[in-house]
Amino acid sequence: MYLLIIFITFLSASVTGLFGRKIGTKGAGLFSSICIIISAGVAYYIFYEVVLCGSVVFLKLGKWINTDILIISFGLQFDSLTAIMLVIITSISAMVHIFSLGYMKEDPHIPRFMSYLSLFTFLMIVLVTSDNYLQLFIGWEGVGLCSYLLINFWFTRIQANKAAIKAMLINRVGDMGLILAIFLILKYFGSLEFEILSNIYLEENSKQIIEIICLLLFIATIGKSAQLGLHTWLPDAMEGPTPVSALIHAATMVTAGVFLVIRSAFLFETAPLISILMSVIGGLTAFISATIGLVQNDLKKVIAYSTCSQLGYMVMICGVSYYSVSLFHLVNHAFFKALLFLSAGAIIHAVNDEQDIRKMGGLIKPLPLIFIITMIGALSLMGTPYLTGFYSKDLILELIYGKYIYMLIYWLASMSALLTAFYSMRLIYLVFITNTNIKKEIFIRKQKVSLYIIMALMGLVLGSIFNGFIMKEVLLSNMVTPFINTHTKMIPILFSIVGGVSAFFIYNNFIKYRLYHVLYTFINSAWQFNYLMNHFLTKSLWKFGYYISYKIVDRGVLEIIGPRGLIRVFTKLTKKLSKLQSGNLFNYAFIMIIFVLIYLII
Amino acid sequence: MCTVTGIVLFILGVWGIILNKSNLMIILMSIELMLLAVSLLFTINSVYLENIIGQIFVIMIIAIAAAESSIGLAILIAYYRLRGTIAVKSLNFLKG
Repeated sequence: MYLLIIFITFLSASVTGLFGRKIGTKGAGLFSSICIIISAGVAYYIFYEVVLCGSVVFLKLGKWINTDILIISFGLQFDSLTAIMLVIITSISAMVHIFSLGYMKEDPHIPRFMSYLSLFTFLMIVLVTSDNYLQLFIGWEGVGLCSYLLINFWFTRIQANKAAIKAMLINRVGDMGLILAIFLILKYFGSLEFEILSNIYLEENSKQIIEIICLLLFIATIGKSAQLGLHTWLPDAMEGPTPVSALIHAATMVTAGVFLVIRSAFLFETAPLISILMSVIGGLTAFISATIGLVQNDLKKVIAYSTCSQLGYMVMICGVSYYSVSLFHLVNHAFFKALLFLSAGAIIHAVNDEQDIRKMGGLIKPLPLIFIITMIGALSLMGTPYLTGFYSKDLILELIYGKYIYMLIYWLASMSALLTAFYSMRLIYLVFITNTNIKKEIFIRKQKVSLYIIMALMGLVLGSIFNGFIMKEVLLSNMVTPFINTHTKMIPILFSIVGGVSAFFIYNNFIKYRLYHVLYTFINSAWQFNYLMNHFLTKSLWKFGYYISYKIVDRGVLEIIGPRGLIRVFTKLTKKLSKLQSGNLFNYAFIMIIFVLIYLII
Repeated sequence: MCTVTGIVLFILGVWGIILNKSNLMIILMSIELMLLAVSLLFTINSVYLENIIGQIFVIMIIAIAAAESSIGLAILIAYYRLRGTIAVKSLNFLKG
């Protein structure tokens, strides 16, 4: 049963990938969807057994690396964290598979697409079920690889290729952190298994090394979870198809970084400095991404920046040691963000693949159902009371408030809650409510939303509405909430309402209240992060690579003391040597006698 | 005294080969001179050491010198027929 969840997703990936031609597009889609739905069922069963019945399962499958100092086995660990992650991964993935059946209907490469999606699900499951860091690393790299494959799914587009390379490379920066952390853990603790590591007695003098390990793990998290500094790949990853954005860049892959932090909580607990850094970076990410999300005109990029922002919340709350709340927000966020992305996909599909929200508007009439679904997603994202987002997001703000040293972060997070509400409402307003900017023939065309799309969205709607209430008891039952008076508790909701309402107000009178142009451009270009990185980091690295390591070292010094220099020296020498043989007899005689004399003297 | 004479003669022979840039005949003569110097040294040493082998060698060297100079002259004549000159300077077709 427990191995089935890994096996069946792998089966789905390999069959659709290898025999996609044989079983056809429809067969590949249905087969992989059914496989993932079965695995989702298995995941729910595992959730029931592990979390609700409280029986943690460990499986040892066999030795992988077996040397004197290091024994690593293929092991699976199903504790409550894994079980909850499994539920999210498989259910979101199942919804995305079903959605893709409708969304990718006209695409010629459905078997490849389904295979990649299933492969991604498989590797994500490998990531969360592993019981040691090295096996986790397989999944970690694997999801990065799948992200690459899926972002440039339409590989004929240069922009998709560039975005994919960017995603892969920026992720690789974080992966370096993880692998260095693994080395350090191995060196200082001698084991990589979570169970052993979490029970290790830490000496006082090993505090320093744990700080370093935690810093490296946090760098890995920054890369994967798109925190500030390495976040620029996430918005660019929107070049892939929309279901991919929903699955990878909203619900699952980016949460791997947060998962790593939660998994390594035993280490982060002993590293207070890194925890502070984590919450600061998380808060800044939440705020900055939210401001960028305010003015993006690409429908998918708005949601991508909101993902960044929400990931900032998760990392921030990890920094103040409320790991279960972080996990709770992760679960809730997966549902409503996948919902938002998939409904964005449905909208984009309806308006002839137009992604610019300035060229939409008034879609409430032709797409009433999609409007309701998007509205639920947006309200949930805003943290409207009694929807999913409320249970985790407001709790995060309250818990941050409870820690008095984090007042700055509290206000950052509250402001980003306001901004989140603002851009969610802006999105709703510009897409659905305001006067339309769509061409007439598209607008009056009878909109048909595929049944698969409706099914997938309905599943996620249920999750977005009820998930928070249901999971609250599971995840937060034994948590002590700090005492906060009611006024402060009202602040986040108030902020959200203010943000949401002001969006309507401002965008109704957009012409009159034209935002300050320079500021708008600055935020619209994502605080110039790409510019800064390209011009100061990437370009100088390229210059270093070209002028120093290529021109000076590779083609310079190494060539001069290597092949080219040797050739030059030896040709010169041999030319001189052969000039000795002048053709004149008396010279020969002279040389002969000289050498005879030398021989005699010696 | 006689040894010194022999050595000086030999060196003169060598000198003649090295410094001579015009005439091939002089080279042959210098070689003859060197051989004669060597013969002289052999003879002197044979007398001095009271050993007959040196004189036997001298006779053989004379025979070889005669053969050598005859072959050398023959080559010289063949060369002269071909080129019309026997200047040493003109012997520089083969360069390294």
